[in-house]
Amino acid sequence: MIGPPADDLSALDHVLILAPYRKDADYLGRLLSEHDIRVLVGADAESLPEALATFPGVLVATLEALTPAVLNEVASHLVAQPSWSEMPVVVLLDRTSPDARVRAELSRIWPRSRQLFYQRPVTPVELVSGVQSALLVRLRQRDVRDHIAREIELRRELNHRVKNILASVTSIFEMTLRGASSVGEFAEDFRGRLDALARVHSAIFHAAGETVTIREIVDLTFGPYYLTGEDRIITSGPSIVLDREAGTTLALCLHELTTNAIKYGALSRASGRVRFEWDLSDREPRELTIQWRESGGPMVEEPIHAGYGTRYIRSALAGLFGRKPEIVFDADGLRCLAQGASSRVMRNR
Amino acid sequence: MNEPPSRCLQPLRVFYLEDNPLIIFHVEQMIEDLGHVFVGSTDRFEGIERHVAAVRIDVALVDIDLADGSTGPQAAAWLQARGIPAIFVTGQERTAAQHRDVCTAVIAKPILRSELAERLESLRSRVK
Repeated sequence: MIGPPADDLSALDHVLILAPYRKDADYLGRLLSEHDIRVLVGADAESLPEALATFPGVLVATLEALTPAVLNEVASHLVAQPSWSEMPVVVLLDRTSPDARVRAELSRIWPRSRQLFYQRPVTPVELVSGVQSALLVRLRQRDVRDHIAREIELRRELNHRVKNILASVTSIFEMTLRGASSVGEFAEDFRGRLDALARVHSAIFHAAGETVTIREIVDLTFGPYYLTGEDRIITSGPSIVLDREAGTTLALCLHELTTNAIKYGALSRASGRVRFEWDLSDREPRELTIQWRESGGPMVEEPIHAGYGTRYIRSALAGLFGRKPEIVFDADGLRCLAQGASSRVMRNR
Repeated sequence: MNEPPSRCLQPLRVFYLEDNPLIIFHVEQMIEDLGHVFVGSTDRFEGIERHVAAVRIDVALVDIDLADGSTGPQAAAWLQARGIPAIFVTGQERTAAQHRDVCTAVIAKPILRSELAERLESLRSRVK
């Protein structure tokens, strides 16, 4: 049996020839090959299942090839086709064959196939163009197949992400509930955290590659505060593209730091300032450093019990950078420093 | 609204493989509430030996999808070979079921505190 290489079996772009007379098989094979159509010549009924298992794009059969055994094998292959598949079948009849009866019989026993009939002698041009258009039909079917496969994959991925987001929201809910002393406080904190999660989700979704820059995260977190006209949050750093998870984590950490600064820290006083800076080292392995520094606020004291924000930042930044962040309740203002291999957080890690 | 941590006579030392920091954070708190000890986490299978060498671990919670791909089952097998039982904690119950041989239990996300408590409890009675 001559045929296409094994790794191309699902390409649906080759023709299976069934012709018991060697001369016919050789002629058809040569003719189609000359037109760059790949062929597989089926030997007999016993080897037919194997030949059909290569998923031919088109079946070309002479009338005399259609023995009861072959008719049955092809029929069971057609019945077992996936929903997107309708195998084109080209049948070469004789001038003397009972044309109408053959057509009626084949359309009855071969469901879900596109049947084309030619009466021999058939001109090479006619046969080749018939096979070529049948192959084109088949390629369309292949596109449908690939779309279906991709849709299944996307649905699976979507399900996974929805579950992950629900789990994130559940975690935020539970953790906010633990720290809240009143329903009003709970509502405010929970809403703030969900908003932060939603904003970074939108930013990442808008970027086709599912990435976000630190600058974008900074803008969406501090955006509302720039609008007050006061330049109290100073930010600087090079252009750095983060992947989805790292971007989300950084956005939520900045949200916690910002709301904390507004409630208790530097941003609770008109004189207070915040500096947020990030940098990437030049030497390999490159390290990303992020630093938050508050100044000009009220005197800072380390709380006896760490709140949600502090605990979350510690846990999240440690996970993100693979190293514990440094959170210092300096009397002059809160400081938070985190550092780690950039390969952990940047795109194409 | 705070609940005091319950007391545990023989707490388990729990390690967590998960790449969603919010979930790690939440589970860390739940584990401590239940009176067990959270000994650390990592978001990927790669480099797990460093974490395992650094702390004693009685049980590992393992997600299927981690930062370096669907490496959870690989990680669970790796841990199992070192005598550390793994519990899958995942939204991919189907994949988890296919790797039932490398874990002692499966917890579906979102994680319920009661379910986590129960799984850890039944493991503890077996471990000790």
